[in-house]
Amino acid sequence: MKITFPYMGSPYMYEKLFTLLGHEVITPPKPSQKTVDYGVKYSPEFACFPLKVILGTYLEALELGADTIVTSGGNGPCRAGYYGEAQKKILQNMGYDVEFIIFDEPKRDLKTFLENVKKIKGNNSWRQVIKTVKTVYDMAKSMDKVEKIVECKRAYECNKGEFTKAWHEITEEYRRIESSEDVKKIERKAIERLNSIKICEVPEEEKIRIGIVGEIYVVMEPSINGNIEEVLNAYGAEVERSHYISEWIDFNLIPLPSYKEKEHQILKKGEKYIEIIIGGHAKQSVGAIIDFMERGFDGVVHLKPFGCLPELVSQSVIDKIMREYDYPILSLSVDEQMAIANVLTRIEAFLDVIKQKKHRKRIAR
Amino acid sequence: MKIGIPKALMYYFYYPFWKTLFESLGFEVVTSDDTSKSILDIGVKEAVAEICVPMKVYTGHVLNLLDKSVDYIYIPRFVSLRKGIFMCPKFMGLPDMIKGLFDGIENKILTHNIVSKSTDISEFHNYTVFIDKLGVSRKDLKNALKKARDKWLEFRTLNRQGYDINELLTSDKPKKYDGDITIGLIGYVYNVYDRFVNMDLLNVFRKLNIKVVTFDMMEERIIQRQLKKFKKNMFWEFTNMLLGTAYEFMERDDIDGIIHITAFGCGPDSILEPFLTIDSEKHKKPFMTLRIDEQTGESHVITRVEAFTDLIRIKKYKAEKTVEGVI
Repeated sequence: MKITFPYMGSPYMYEKLFTLLGHEVITPPKPSQKTVDYGVKYSPEFACFPLKVILGTYLEALELGADTIVTSGGNGPCRAGYYGEAQKKILQNMGYDVEFIIFDEPKRDLKTFLENVKKIKGNNSWRQVIKTVKTVYDMAKSMDKVEKIVECKRAYECNKGEFTKAWHEITEEYRRIESSEDVKKIERKAIERLNSIKICEVPEEEKIRIGIVGEIYVVMEPSINGNIEEVLNAYGAEVERSHYISEWIDFNLIPLPSYKEKEHQILKKGEKYIEIIIGGHAKQSVGAIIDFMERGFDGVVHLKPFGCLPELVSQSVIDKIMREYDYPILSLSVDEQMAIANVLTRIEAFLDVIKQKKHRKRIAR
Repeated sequence: MKIGIPKALMYYFYYPFWKTLFESLGFEVVTSDDTSKSILDIGVKEAVAEICVPMKVYTGHVLNLLDKSVDYIYIPRFVSLRKGIFMCPKFMGLPDMIKGLFDGIENKILTHNIVSKSTDISEFHNYTVFIDKLGVSRKDLKNALKKARDKWLEFRTLNRQGYDINELLTSDKPKKYDGDITIGLIGYVYNVYDRFVNMDLLNVFRKLNIKVVTFDMMEERIIQRQLKKFKKNMFWEFTNMLLGTAYEFMERDDIDGIIHITAFGCGPDSILEPFLTIDSEKHKKPFMTLRIDEQTGESHVITRVEAFTDLIRIKKYKAEKTVEGVI
């Protein structure tokens, strides 16, 4: 069994989980033009962009020798929960003999869920499995914590590129961990390292803070969203996302109410505009916009895959929020046609609007 | 009091129900006009650019109703018509979407959630909102729902007997149509029956002497039997119905070919597509996708349908000839 999986944000959680459980793992390459081309070629034309990129990722991993794909399912109504089934159909039709292990919620089909768990568990003892899961969870938490520092401080680095370089090296360190103790050690070292990078502070009132919201895949995966965080940082803006993998795990996989509180608060904030959860992250996106606004962020970038079902509903609402609060929100559609020059121009214009707004406010005071 | 019902989306499946319901409660029911170039254009202008065409059409119909000085526009939020299966997210967010598009429209919208166990949406608990909002009594509401249900079941029965929905909605003496070949038409009611958006497709078929069978004419149990083949059903009620119907069509000898009519930007259909294209090929059943969008021009639809059905006829009559020859 040579396992591969979708690539979203950091692939190292999956990689670590399966490696520590003793499986042979084919880590898929970071999505590139080749990935996108593959995905576009073999996916239905109007499939959403993440489905295409993930299919491309699988094809690349299969070329590298993978024979088993592990992924999550879902309850809908967003399409993402059915990706696995559709991709299986397409890959099998292309002649690939590939096994799909799709983790749906246990209550949907308990038997399949337990079979899947057994496959992943292999010969490991339950004690070992729990220890491994804990290690990977700690790693996810820790990486998100460190990345948040990068997303904030990179906006002020004196020498361009230092934080990105450091972050890449730090992720490689994380890749080598074996236990939760390693995670702690690496986190300490990483934070020390980031703190030692020279930064050119700007006065508090000139700082710009941007929230990024939207559909989880395009928010989390820099290689397909035009590296938007780095771009915003390079223009001197601090960034925070509405999705971090560890928070996703807290909300979706840990059955303790205290872990779900943050997401529930966000959902509550979105309720005025989107009454019920309509799938994907539509309600969360709207809630996160209100949240960023209340926390004094200067603007929000909203990312959605072209034609994304839930995010098109949030898009209808977002225009209203912009009018109601005179709040800058930039909506970007992400798909195979996204041109970087276009994105840069729009971000520049967006930041100009924010700067002028801040400037007028200062003068008014 | 005048209640406006947009002639779009679920209008084609539930209008007899809604009309009876509101009229039994003593309200006047007004529909928007038939879809037209101006309704479509205004919808395209006001709706979010990337949204699917049926949603744009719907937006146009809402504005058309506003011009008719109705007291309320009825925009139900379809959530689920079967346990664990939902409607497309756009349906679930439909009232939110319309509220988001137009300022000050909130008070004009009559909305409530529909969470039902089947496509029969007459369950009382879904409509309790009406008691306060429309000032009707529980008893009257219950009676009206029963009447509406009866009317709707009657409509569905005729529909299942092979009368198409446009015939049933627009004609007192509905007709059935036959043809020398039969096409299984896979598509949502608002794509199959909106004559403007689909370039009057059903009449195109009739002129070519083609009989059409659609999912709404299928018995529920047949669809469900086909769906059992899938380990995991799709999440969207009507997409599942299309899926089940399509697999039935693939297996049936009296269906000569399958056409999937889909609107630009339809998300669920993009997931349905690989299943239909791959498996219709395996079943050796001629298959074609017909995509409709806001660009109105009927010649391409006619050309494609003609070409497709010509091939089917050639295949069919060649096969018959061979059989005769052998005999």
